[in-house]
Amino acid sequence: MKTKILTVSILLGITAIAMIGYFVGCSQFGGDAVSSRTAEQSSEEGDVTFAEVTDKSDSEPQVVTKPQAILSQLQKDVAEDEIRLRKQLSELIKADDKERADILTKTDESGTPIVTFEDAATAFKGKNGREMDVLLESESEESAKHYFVNGPVPVLGDKPGAGGMGGYGGMGRSSRTDRSGGMGEYGGGYKTNGLAALKPESTGATTTAASRPSGSKRGTLLRSRGGDLPVISRRPDTRRIPVELLNVSEDEIWVIARPETQAVPVPVGEDTPGCGAMLAKLPKKEKEIPLPLKHTDVKGQISGYIATVDVTQQFHNPYDEKIEAVYVFPLPQNAAINEFIMVIGERRIRGIIRERKEAEEIYREARRQGYVASLLTQERPNIFTQKVANIEPGKNIDVNIKYFNTLAYVDGWYEFVFPMVVGPRFNPPGYTDGVGAVARGKNGISGQKTEVQYLKPGERSGHDIAVTVDVDAGVKIEEVECKSHVINKTFTSPEKLTVKLNSLDSIPNKDLVLRYKVAGKTVKSALVTHHDKRGGFFTLMLYPPESLSYLKRAPMEMIFVLDCSGSMSGKPIAKAKQAITRALRKLQPNDTFQIIRFSNNASQLGPHPIPATPANIRKGLNYVDSLHGSGGTMMIEGIKAALDFAHDPHRFRLVSFMTDGYIGNEVEILAAVHQRLGVSRIFSFGVGSSVNRYLLDRMAKLGKGAVAYIGLDDSAGGIVDLFYERISHPALTDLTIDWGNMQVTDMYPYHIRDLFVGRPVILTGRFKGNSKTTIRITGKVGDLTQEIAIGVKLDDSAVTHQGIACVWARKKIETLANQATYDNNPDLPQEIKHVALEYGLMSAYTAFIAVDSSRQTIGDHGITVAVPVPVPDGVRYETTVQN
Amino acid sequence: MKKITAIILISISAIVPVPAQQSEQDNASVKPKFRFAPLHIYLDSGSQPLAAYQFELKAPAGQVKIVGVEGGEHKAFKEAPYYDPAALANDRIIIAAFNTGRELPKGRTRIATIHLQIIGDAEPDYELKLVVAADADAKEIPAKISFEKGE
Repeated sequence: MKTKILTVSILLGITAIAMIGYFVGCSQFGGDAVSSRTAEQSSEEGDVTFAEVTDKSDSEPQVVTKPQAILSQLQKDVAEDEIRLRKQLSELIKADDKERADILTKTDESGTPIVTFEDAATAFKGKNGREMDVLLESESEESAKHYFVNGPVPVLGDKPGAGGMGGYGGMGRSSRTDRSGGMGEYGGGYKTNGLAALKPESTGATTTAASRPSGSKRGTLLRSRGGDLPVISRRPDTRRIPVELLNVSEDEIWVIARPETQAVPVPVGEDTPGCGAMLAKLPKKEKEIPLPLKHTDVKGQISGYIATVDVTQQFHNPYDEKIEAVYVFPLPQNAAINEFIMVIGERRIRGIIRERKEAEEIYREARRQGYVASLLTQERPNIFTQKVANIEPGKNIDVNIKYFNTLAYVDGWYEFVFPMVVGPRFNPPGYTDGVGAVARGKNGISGQKTEVQYLKPGERSGHDIAVTVDVDAGVKIEEVECKSHVINKTFTSPEKLTVKLNSLDSIPNKDLVLRYKVAGKTVKSALVTHHDKRGGFFTLMLYPPESLSYLKRAPMEMIFVLDCSGSMSGKPIAKAKQAITRALRKLQPNDTFQIIRFSNNASQLGPHPIPATPANIRKGLNYVDSLHGSGGTMMIEGIKAALDFAHDPHRFRLVSFMTDGYIGNEVEILAAVHQRLGVSRIFSFGVGSSVNRYLLDRMAKLGKGAVAYIGLDDSAGGIVDLFYERISHPALTDLTIDWGNMQVTDMYPYHIRDLFVGRPVILTGRFKGNSKTTIRITGKVGDLTQEIAIGVKLDDSAVTHQGIACVWARKKIETLANQATYDNNPDLPQEIKHVALEYGLMSAYTAFIAVDSSRQTIGDHGITVAVPVPVPDGVRYETTVQN
Repeated sequence: MKKITAIILISISAIVPVPAQQSEQDNASVKPKFRFAPLHIYLDSGSQPLAAYQFELKAPAGQVKIVGVEGGEHKAFKEAPYYDPAALANDRIIIAAFNTGRELPKGRTRIATIHLQIIGDAEPDYELKLVVAADADAKEIPAKISFEKGE
């Protein structure tokens, strides 16, 4: 009996095990798990595995049978990639021009494609013009091999040819004049002389096809683990950005001064930044290996007052398993990102702008399924996150981002800024939507939505940066300076200049600030326009009349607000104190002042405005001298203390913030500024080598004031002097504009700000009309009325630029985003998203996604590796980074 | 004893296919709801050199999402072509490229690869329309457009 029971038990046990095993086996060991295991086994053996993929268009399978051959194969691949890249970049010089592409992708309001011959001709127009003929015939035949469609070719019919602007649906009148300007580089261009429109409805029959699968097989090489990895050489600087012509400068922020950080000669040696490589430890392993971001290449082209900038981030997987690289990086706060390309070998995949959530879902799914994918999201207008999934061991993937931004202009100087590192931000307790600053490898400890990992003091990353900027000022360049970095500059003509960052100064730990002075004392107010299928766009630059500089200011009430948090300790707070000291000494007897400090809380010198008597100023100087940096950055406390301060109605009130802006709750701060501003004007001073310019600029804008930047090696006194010079004259107020024959709508900013000496105001909007007219701007200086008259020809090709449409769209997004900081209107995000998608621009609600669907990598997506960055120059790691 | 053993073995043989079937179903259900696949676009311009093109691709709403645009096989169209973001909002993909260099492709050439996310198991019905093809003189030329699906 016992034997029977035992037998039955055994059989039942076997049955149970079999069933459990079956279920578990089905659910857990199929699919990816099997692939992953296979891949791991193969690679550990130093063998090569081929996986079946489907894209026959891609590279041919590579067969390497011995582990020791892999390295040489890899090196060969790299060399070949380099050669291909050089060829490709050379091609790009000839082929890359978005302007032409936009012409050729024109659609009408309903999205129906429109291409006129005039457009096509415009796209091809070059320096040496000649007329084109138009072919009216086409054919439509079905392919024997594939399902395809071809249509009867577009018919021009009896539309007027030469000299005509035959459009389609009223949209055919493209801005041919402005589009032709930048095409000269495409050799053998031709001149168009009036071509009739194509009719989209006749341009091709449409066939619906449910095509058969035709995937072909392709091999993929799985790299063996271990062994040394080849050094990837730098990309050649052969890529050229098309010339952009635009007569706009930075928006209405009044920039008083910029950092004067003095670049020091860089010693050559082992410890020279950029000459070595930081060695990190891969989680779970003790092996020392380099980090995944190797190099950033920046190529800027400035024409007029707009910069078009190409940023290429070169990712490389030095590990022996797949990784996802995550890099949080800065760009200028007014950058309009409208291109994103993922580069795999010689293949270039253009990213698509999508709603952010949708793009994130696509990325997650592609990552999960093993496809190489990249995602670019915006965390703040000046902070972005780049993710690249499924980078296989030893492989390189480049990401190319293109943006444009308008330059700041002050007293004849234009300024190009390229930020290189995100400063460590302080986030108030309980706040989770900020930007956390954590030590390398300590991901997740800040509890913030976005996190930046920082290198410890003494560590350095192999990541370096190269910057080249071509300047075409249009007028003679009188002076050039870059005090933040060591640069090499070459003049190719009096108006043209090429600036390169010295290769020995390639550590990305501070803003690159390049300035150049152009001939002439002042710039005249001017209008720049653009027409396309969406209508007319304009940008109007207003400069104050010179007569303002002869008038003197009214008594002032100065409130200094000093950031005494930990990130300001050391040089930054010393600079800020120098600035306040100088400012106190420049007060006039009928002025008043107050000094407020904040870190974890706020306190001040006295309860009321203090008359600027010599005794009181000495008291103020002693108070400033006693302040030092430590603790958190509860800027909200400083805002409240400063803006809720009792106001003297007989004085012009200026609130001056001195801070690095290293906070994560910018929205809260900006909302508070908007709500509490009253009659105050905010003049913010950014102090440090890598300031949060987004916050400082927006505070000044919302505060109807100005911003200045003080670098760590600047003369704070000089900048304060400049500041006082700026505010020592009255503003042109109550501005009104008579647009003449222009019918203007959707203008930003909604309300025209006061016009101060040296401060341009930029207006951008949409318009109808195409005739000659005069724009008249009138305002008041005290009781006097002043007028500025600007004569314009709305169809003048010399003052047009296609980028104006994006300038307008970017400005609209910015205005709506600013509004969202204090307005709970639920429609605002939707409106921002709509504009960003329509104009293909990056925003908080849109993102760029690129997936290489032609090949699925083997195994799961591997580990996520964040790219750690150095703390900005002059910032103390110990007081700002969470460990 | 033998009887019991036989009953158990029969039970096993009867039961195992059921979970096996269920597992297959489970497997099917965990099959990605979304898949990714390239769509290769070809243009045949016959004996004429191809310098520019514009085409439009459509699929029934919600079936596919474009997730990348890649250039073609000939070096004249190697660069990733441009798409119209405004059209994309209306589930239409409008793509264009041009090159006025001297070396231009003739005959049938892959001009672009569209990377797609396909939703669901059904094969999308693509609708491909050539809007225009032109030579280096901006003359419209006859051409045939077609596509091949990758996996």
